[in-house]
Amino acid sequence: MNALGKTDSRIVIENVSKFYGEVLGINKVNLTIPPGITGLVGPNGSGKTTLMNLMVGLIRPTRGEIRILGVAPDHPEELFRLVGYSTQYDAFPPGMTGYQFIYSYLRVHGFAHAEAEKMTWEAIERVGLTEAAGRKVAGYSKGMRQRIKLAQAIAHRPTVLILDEPLNGLDPMARAEVIALFRSLAAAGLYVIVSSHILHEVDLISDQVVLINGGYIVAEGEIGGVRDEMEEEHPVQVLIRCDRPSLLASKVFEQDHVVEASIQDDGRSLLVRTRSADRFYMMLNEVVLETGLGIETVMPTDADVNAVYQYLIGEKS
Amino acid sequence: MSETLRETVPAQTISHGNPWGQWRNQALAVMRLEMRKSFLSKRVFLLLVLALMPVFLLGMRAIIPVAVDDPANLAEATKVFSAIYQAFTVRVIVFLGCVWIFGNLIRREVLDRSLHYYFLSPVRRELLVVAKYLTGVLVAIVLFGSATLISYLLAYAPHTGVGNFFFRGPGFAHLGSYLLVTSLACMGYGAVFLALGFFFKSPAIPALAVFGWERILFLLPPLLKKVSVSHYLQSLCPVPFDEGPLAILADAPSPWISIPGLLIVSAALLALSAWKIRKMEISYEED
Repeated sequence: MNALGKTDSRIVIENVSKFYGEVLGINKVNLTIPPGITGLVGPNGSGKTTLMNLMVGLIRPTRGEIRILGVAPDHPEELFRLVGYSTQYDAFPPGMTGYQFIYSYLRVHGFAHAEAEKMTWEAIERVGLTEAAGRKVAGYSKGMRQRIKLAQAIAHRPTVLILDEPLNGLDPMARAEVIALFRSLAAAGLYVIVSSHILHEVDLISDQVVLINGGYIVAEGEIGGVRDEMEEEHPVQVLIRCDRPSLLASKVFEQDHVVEASIQDDGRSLLVRTRSADRFYMMLNEVVLETGLGIETVMPTDADVNAVYQYLIGEKS
Repeated sequence: MSETLRETVPAQTISHGNPWGQWRNQALAVMRLEMRKSFLSKRVFLLLVLALMPVFLLGMRAIIPVAVDDPANLAEATKVFSAIYQAFTVRVIVFLGCVWIFGNLIRREVLDRSLHYYFLSPVRRELLVVAKYLTGVLVAIVLFGSATLISYLLAYAPHTGVGNFFFRGPGFAHLGSYLLVTSLACMGYGAVFLALGFFFKSPAIPALAVFGWERILFLLPPLLKKVSVSHYLQSLCPVPFDEGPLAILADAPSPWISIPGLLIVSAALLALSAWKIRKMEISYEED
């Protein structure tokens, strides 16, 4: 049961489409998002922000229905007790310090002064901006502005955190700290939905990914699972570094699931493309047992989200 | 950055009982925030200059001896103030001030790209628009009410026998009426421009149209005069204003119609704004 007394513990997006006149925002999106970190990945203009804005009611769907833990987005007075959203807009109310920014909107939530003050400092501390809290937001660096937006999104302790490109503009240290924060929130059972067009980031932090392109969801699930679904059409590449690559090559060519095998220029590696990673690894074990092949490394070269993205979307990150 | 995991459960549960206390707190928080963002900043400077214009005019009259024909003639002060107040203060200064204040209540935050922070709070959008309107009304009444008060006092300053006029005559009653008219003007024009702000991207064009309508009101037949704010305000002023030989005369509505009528129309326009904000989508890119 959530804070509003509702029993639905799912984020459900059912057949949602959004058109801006003739222009497609997203089309026929069906998603169920579980707790943990969900990465929403797609190139610029793919519909990530549209989907997030629909989830929080900043825009309304042309068709379909959205429920966030049982609450419809057109009831902000209920929804935003559960949801925190950090938008992509790099804009703030003028003239405010970081502290005033967080505190003022907590008061708008309805928190009393003492509670709002406590929660403000807590959120500011969590994003590492304690020393800069008294400075005007207008004077913040891009990374600091990202972090103060994140603080504003988490300040009221939401159950669902929706973050649009939250790692943009962060230096590597801040990025690592923010990722650690996401993980700690997800470990506590929160729903953390993070969008990014930088695939490596999402690959690092997500429990599951949703790939979106041209307004359509092209794949969803755990990155490995998404990859498995595509094996039939898009063979997996595995690089094996061993002492006798030519022997291994002769063995793999006997397999019907292997599409291609090529010895690499270093003379010690074999690159194999197969339609069934499971059967390939099984066969590799058998070859090792039969021939005593000395294997140094076995490395899937395209099981990361980058490769998935290339297959599905046809673009390099 | 602290990586300590603190309490992550929602800090607040919705009240299933009487929501009025929560709404009051939220409305007050919005009003405080609006005051900080918009009215306690450099942005208010032009508004102050505007509000001080009638004060400046009547101040000049007070300090330049030749500007007053007969210092003993209080009727002259009454006539001068009434003319300046009705033709300039209400119809130009308060009007333009309300365009600036209320036309920008929503629009400015769309241009600043900061309106979404309100929309991402658990506050009813209808409550948000009411709180913003009340902040605007408060600021407008303080500014233009003060300007009315000061300019009224300045109108009588160069005259003699002012004590009798105020303490034994109609001085304070007139002042009270003018302050009431200023307040109702702020509420009425405020509701008009707040609502128009939802239908037009720039408040300037509808403001110009309303301004033109109100300026030609004296030429319009009685039925059309009723579709205006200044027609009702004029009837509440203690001293009639001569609109010239071309004016088409109409019976002035009684205060019992004017005051509730203005309040009801303001409330209806506010309800329209609340309906519009409930339907509003944020798409800053289009603005």
